[in-house]
Amino acid sequence: MFKTIKSKILLIIVLILAILLVAFSCYAVVFRAKTKQLMLQNYSFSVNSFVHQINDKITRLEDNSKDLALIGSLFYRTDRSIPLTDKAITKIFENYDNSLGGGIWFEPYIVDKSKKRMCRYIYRNNDGVLTFDDNFEGDEYDYHNQGWYKQIISQVTKEDDTAWSLPYYEKQGSDTMMITVGTAIFYDDKIVGISTVDWELSAIFKDISEMKPIEKTFSLYDGKNKIKDSFAVLADKEHDYIIVSNDPFLDNEALIGKSLKNIPWYNENLKNITYITYHNKKYVPFVKNIKNGMVLIICVPKTEMFRYIDQFGLYMLFTLFVIGLIIPILLYIKLNKYIINPINKLMDIANKISRGEDVKIKIEKPEEFAKLAATYDSMTNNIKSITKEREKINSELSIAKSIQESSLPNVFPPFPENPEFDIFASMEPAKEVGGDFYDFYFIDEKHFMFLIADVSGKGVPAALFMMTVKTLINNVSQMGYSHKKLFEVINKKVCQTNKQGFFVTLLAGIFNTETGDISFINCGHNQPLIKRQNGLYEYMNLNSNIVLGAFDDAKFEIFETKLNVGDVVFTYTDGITEAINERGDLFGEERLANCLNKNSGLDNIKEIAQSVKNEIKEFTQSTPQSDDITMLIFKYQTENLNKTPASDSRTFRQPADLENYKSFYTWLHEVSKDWDLNDDISNKLDMCAEEIFANITFYAYDGNSGYVETTITKIDDEVVLQFEDRGVEYNPLEKPDPDITAPPEDRPLGGLGIFMVKQMADIVNYERKDDKNILRIVFKI
Amino acid sequence: MEIKIKHNGISGLIVNAGGRLDLDSAVEYGTKIKDAIEDSDEPIKELVLDFGEISFISSFGLKIILELYKQMNGQNGVLKLRNVSEQIKNSFKMVGFNQFLIFE
Repeated sequence: MFKTIKSKILLIIVLILAILLVAFSCYAVVFRAKTKQLMLQNYSFSVNSFVHQINDKITRLEDNSKDLALIGSLFYRTDRSIPLTDKAITKIFENYDNSLGGGIWFEPYIVDKSKKRMCRYIYRNNDGVLTFDDNFEGDEYDYHNQGWYKQIISQVTKEDDTAWSLPYYEKQGSDTMMITVGTAIFYDDKIVGISTVDWELSAIFKDISEMKPIEKTFSLYDGKNKIKDSFAVLADKEHDYIIVSNDPFLDNEALIGKSLKNIPWYNENLKNITYITYHNKKYVPFVKNIKNGMVLIICVPKTEMFRYIDQFGLYMLFTLFVIGLIIPILLYIKLNKYIINPINKLMDIANKISRGEDVKIKIEKPEEFAKLAATYDSMTNNIKSITKEREKINSELSIAKSIQESSLPNVFPPFPENPEFDIFASMEPAKEVGGDFYDFYFIDEKHFMFLIADVSGKGVPAALFMMTVKTLINNVSQMGYSHKKLFEVINKKVCQTNKQGFFVTLLAGIFNTETGDISFINCGHNQPLIKRQNGLYEYMNLNSNIVLGAFDDAKFEIFETKLNVGDVVFTYTDGITEAINERGDLFGEERLANCLNKNSGLDNIKEIAQSVKNEIKEFTQSTPQSDDITMLIFKYQTENLNKTPASDSRTFRQPADLENYKSFYTWLHEVSKDWDLNDDISNKLDMCAEEIFANITFYAYDGNSGYVETTITKIDDEVVLQFEDRGVEYNPLEKPDPDITAPPEDRPLGGLGIFMVKQMADIVNYERKDDKNILRIVFKI
Repeated sequence: MEIKIKHNGISGLIVNAGGRLDLDSAVEYGTKIKDAIEDSDEPIKELVLDFGEISFISSFGLKIILELYKQMNGQNGVLKLRNVSEQIKNSFKMVGFNQFLIFE
């Protein structure tokens, strides 16, 4: 999937960005949590300081109440001057404007026996002017029976004791919701009245609403509420009543003075809770205790509280996302421009060049690609010149190939005048010139030689070497060497011409057209197949000699057998057995044998060759041929009608060279053995043959090379040994006989041999005919 | 051809050889024996050729025997042939060598 450079680089970038994103996200999460914690602390501090203010107020209110109680006590104890008392009261309220009003109230009939109620009450009227209200002494109000009076007087038990009333609605005077703090007025350890200071509840709310712990964070209060749904509760926890609340889900007025249990979200452990869930919304409660068992609880919606942090987080995320998107896109564009596009361009050009189009390359940027393009350009020019040269070589090669092919005999049948055998050969060369070849010719009147060979290596050097070897074999085989010796000489000469370390595998057969005898020699070549008359083709098991051209003193073994009429010999090169099909299988020897046997009914050897070729083609299909496919088929068709009947004759032709003596007498011994000649005749033949052979090799050619042909014939009760050479005319019989009765000291060393021949033979005669010396020696059996 | 030449006493030589004494081997046979005669510190008075393993003799072999005879004769020595087969004796007879050769 990510095989191209482009995709790999992109992948890496995306991965890096992803890692950075994750790292940053982790940091942001931690940062956010810490920030939230800090914010909470901050809120908490703000609420604390606010509570301090309220505490201060309450203290002031209570202090005022105590001062009023002192004034009340003085009034009671002294001359009871109202104007003086009023002045003192006014002074207190003038100094402190946070309370709505307040006063001193006496128990019934305690100041004046005739007057049930006695009080001094001052309040701020609508214009903010302190005014005394005398209406409270009337019967309608009857302050002794008011809740606040009862509540306070029942709580205060000694001097300076302060107590708080429940919140109540006062119709008289200020006409508002309020709560009152009061102090006992004592005289002679007896309560004579109380002082009161009123605190308007709306004022508390106002204070709370004005609370701004942090700029732009929140302020509480209906109407001007900047934080939606935040609310607060002020309560007396000790006496379990609600002083004031602005819960948006409850009837707040009805709650005043009621138990805290009426608030659904409230519980004793609220202080320890990080947040409460109320009407499907999360709130963070801030719980602060105030003086006198009072408690202030402020609930702020969690989402609103951390809105700025969350918003900031969102902005951050969005920014990261955009950066994460923009960077790969930018990189992709730049990558395309500076790397991928030039590569594609070069690829395009390379394709065009490979199609043979003439293309000029123009890339200026980036510098690396400009250099690459220049290299491309010079490479193209090189390729062009190389191609031109190669074309020239190719045309020369094809000429070489046709010369090579035409050097092989290709007219079939090649010897129509010799009906005793038929031969067919074909070579299908691989693409280049190769090293396979075949050849066949008569090496003397009776002996027909055919051979198939494979020069190691390919190409022109192998082809040249093959031509040399082919010519060399042709020349040497005409010189009359014994079959065994022939290949030793050929090998020696091949070694001499072989400076490049080539070698040749070769299979040859030398067929005696008169007798059907055949000598095979295998020099490292594939084993041939033989079909005996009407049998099946079988691989021969010839002794494999060393390849030609390896060691110049190599010895060779030949295999002699006899062919019967109808026998076929199939020889080939490894181009057949090593032909390869699409799956890489080899054609192999088994397939070859099977193919031949499938078509064993074919008489015409040309058709046999065609059937093998077809089989190979069917096997290899479209796989190109990698080696020459060469085969040579030899068939013994009919017996030689010209040969002398009732007689047996063997001929041996060799160069007239002393070193051939051993092969000569070996041959002679074999003939003796074959014909079952007795020891006497064999011995005579041996002695005579040696003498004549030596004479010819020593004297006939006077140091030049020449041959000696020996024919031994058996007719009825005679054995005829005939020597033939083309040397100088010489009749050995004319040599005078040595005196074999002379004293030994006088006897000559020469002349004994021919004398012995004359002694041993029954008939000896000499003839000079067609520039040949012919000596015939006849033995009677 | 394998040729073994042994001293027999101070002035005697015994030659053992096997195979064909012919064109191929006769010269070597003769040369080795002549060398041995010449190399001897004492003049050789008796040369014995053991023919027990010789299967064939040709005219070239006969020529060498004649040469050896002449040499021994020249230095007042004796040439003796030992274990000669009938067939080879016939060959000697054919060229009249039986007249002077001593067969043991």
